[in-house]
Amino acid sequence: MQSTSFEQIQERVYHETLPNGLAVYLLPKHGFSKTYAVFTTRYGSIDSHFRVGTQEVRVPDGIAHFLEHKMFEKKDHDVFQLFSQTGASSNAFTSFNRTAYLFSSTGNVEKNLEILLDFVQEPYFSEQSVEKEKGIIGQEIRMYDDDPDWKVYTNLLKAMYQQHPVRIEIAGTVDSIAQITSELLYQCHATFYHPSNMLLFVVGAIDPPAILELIRENQQRKQFPPAPAVERLFPQEPAEVGEQRIEAQLSVGLPKCLIGHKESRLGLTGDALLKQELCSKLLLDVLFGQGSPLYQRLYDSGLITETFDFDYSAESAYAYSVVGGDTPDPDRLLETIAREIDARMAEGIAAEEFNRCKRKRIGQYLRALNSVEYIANQFTSYKFNGTDLFRVLPVLEGITLDDVNQRLREHFRPAQRAVSIVRATSTGGK
Amino acid sequence: MSVPVTEIGFESRQVNGIGLHVLKTAKFKTITLVVLIEQALSEENVTKTALLAHLLKRATSRLPDSLALRQHLDYLYGAVFDVDVVKKGERQILQLYLEVPHEQFLSSEERLLEQAVQFVGDVLTRPYLENGAFAEKYLAAEKESLRKRIDSIIDDKIKYANQRITEEMCKGEPYALLVYGRTADLPAITAAGLYQYYRELLAHNPLHVFVVGDVERDQVEQYLARHLQVERGEPAQLPPTVVQKAVGEVREVVERLDVTQGKLHIGCRTQISYRDDDYPALVMVNGILGGFPHSKLFLNVREKASLAYYAASRLDSHKGVLMMMAGIDVAQYEKAKAIMLEQLRLVQEGRISELEIKQTKATLANQYRELLDSARLLIDFTYNGMLSGRRRSLGELLQQMEEVDMDDLTRAASRIQIDTIYLLRDNKGGA
Repeated sequence: MQSTSFEQIQERVYHETLPNGLAVYLLPKHGFSKTYAVFTTRYGSIDSHFRVGTQEVRVPDGIAHFLEHKMFEKKDHDVFQLFSQTGASSNAFTSFNRTAYLFSSTGNVEKNLEILLDFVQEPYFSEQSVEKEKGIIGQEIRMYDDDPDWKVYTNLLKAMYQQHPVRIEIAGTVDSIAQITSELLYQCHATFYHPSNMLLFVVGAIDPPAILELIRENQQRKQFPPAPAVERLFPQEPAEVGEQRIEAQLSVGLPKCLIGHKESRLGLTGDALLKQELCSKLLLDVLFGQGSPLYQRLYDSGLITETFDFDYSAESAYAYSVVGGDTPDPDRLLETIAREIDARMAEGIAAEEFNRCKRKRIGQYLRALNSVEYIANQFTSYKFNGTDLFRVLPVLEGITLDDVNQRLREHFRPAQRAVSIVRATSTGGK
Repeated sequence: MSVPVTEIGFESRQVNGIGLHVLKTAKFKTITLVVLIEQALSEENVTKTALLAHLLKRATSRLPDSLALRQHLDYLYGAVFDVDVVKKGERQILQLYLEVPHEQFLSSEERLLEQAVQFVGDVLTRPYLENGAFAEKYLAAEKESLRKRIDSIIDDKIKYANQRITEEMCKGEPYALLVYGRTADLPAITAAGLYQYYRELLAHNPLHVFVVGDVERDQVEQYLARHLQVERGEPAQLPPTVVQKAVGEVREVVERLDVTQGKLHIGCRTQISYRDDDYPALVMVNGILGGFPHSKLFLNVREKASLAYYAASRLDSHKGVLMMMAGIDVAQYEKAKAIMLEQLRLVQEGRISELEIKQTKATLANQYRELLDSARLLIDFTYNGMLSGRRRSLGELLQQMEEVDMDDLTRAASRIQIDTIYLLRDNKGGA
């Protein structure tokens, strides 16, 4: 077992890769009552076209999420019931590129860890239970259909990406999930849930050597075939956005408007990807944060509300920034922001703004480390991208004003811009 | 070195007529300050209090506009700051929240704690004023912000349905009010009138300051005495939340909106609140009924009948209102309703297994212990006890829940009465 100490933030991470390939990371949190464990596979909604050995496979949209749901049901019991008996709360989520299973508990950590490892590694599906799940997930999809914040965001991705499956909704559609069978679920599980494709992170009230021993023993008891040779197949994605503008109607109080910029600087991994993410977030904060003159101008003119926000998503194969929120006048908001971006690209940003936002980011990072959920999920996400959550401070400290000004010039190209708007239906309201 | 906290040990005392509650712990990398000002939820004051939350966070005399204020917070290492209103029973709580990093993790000495207390003092006691009242320009802008916020509750259909059933069910009771107020009240609110109202609130209403982090109590007290000075009179006696209410016939309300999923909410009165002896049993009842993935609603509406993605129940501990809810296909309305009502009936008849009791006790105990790892939840737990007039320690509450038996469950459950059944549905199809 190796360990790495991060002095400035007073944390120590323990690590071991087991003989079957499973990467295990443990972080004891002094004084904490709860333990949070997350068992994650590099497999998400975008992995619907792949090659295993010589066989090329296409599976229905939404199958990774469907599989996540079905992992909880076993032949003679339901996994939620097991966790409830120990008092743990458990859950799972599927994103574009990973599926995570988790529990949190203030006791019985050993028992809960065994349940977690076993249920994720021992699939059981029947045609009957697969059919039943279609009703439940159908309602989940409809719930999101009625959510205007979700709609405006997913529509933006549809506009930006022409081919890449990040444009497809994680849960799929009622039609696509209708094609899912237990056989397909078994196939996806065998392909993507091999230990060498997974990471286990445990954080909280734990004794690392004892926990690691338990995990080792659990894994030794199980037989795994050699890791399958999996090649994920993605279509060629053009650099430009597919549509510059996409609109939808739902019942909302105010229109919603998001502006996306599709990243053209792709293919980064490790610290380079982390640096690009942190630079981009700093840049967005300088331009659009609550401490920016633009934000205050927009707020004072009534063009935005406190829902106005920004974010940057950084993956090796796709990345984008999003800025926006509720607004009474999407077109005027778009025009104002576009003008600000043009002006800023000409002038650059100032040292004062840069330093202020950097301080802010350091504080935000420290605050986030209070949350075991954040630590576990973010750590996993960064590891999958070849970097480390605990590299954030040093990388952030190394970012210069020049770096951010360079980001400003390369990120905001007009051809990379798409806009998504959701307006009220005429029949909406009481 | 700190030891794991197993009890929530705020040390309380009065400073300048303010209740100060400090919890010293080294487990967090930040220091959290929360100020809570209590107001009776009422038609007369609800919009004014909500508007105050907007105005107070807008500007102070030292930081006279939002840009200066927000940039100051950025310099305080991205301090998180918000002022908001929350509803707890028939109380509207004006809540100020500030969180700053602890200095020990920063490379420079910054006196961040004192600066944080000073900022809180600025916001509460030195707001930006013109001609001895809130500035007209900010008042006008924040009225608009509040209006947009009220209009936007329709965006979240579960919250919207919850507010609508509450309005229908509690017509004539303060509890029916949306905590953000009513747009119709906005035009009549003046800068001078609102400032006068705020002065009275600050002088007379219950006011508490909570601090959680690796801090010295004496130091916090000193800073507070220095930066937060208010003239406090006798604290006002606010009317209690009405929990006991006879239920007549069950009302059914159907509302139409452009949605694809129906929201079925069933509102019940329990006649029991946080201060009652039966409260721990009621929490258990809610857990067995719909609090968890092992609960009757989840198992029967979702897992067995495949009718919904979410099917749950929630309890307002101060008002004693229990709400069952599920997102369903409207064509399945009668079926879903029948199953949900059946689950309540089963609990009331004591058709509860030993396993259900065991699971609910275990998950509830876990849920309550987990709040020990969140500064915000530590404060919330302690304040709920103070507000209800019955303070239970965490250990006491866990012990009381552990001791709940079948008699306690059926006694608490038998007091639950269905009041209103509400369906938010699409615009299509027949009535």
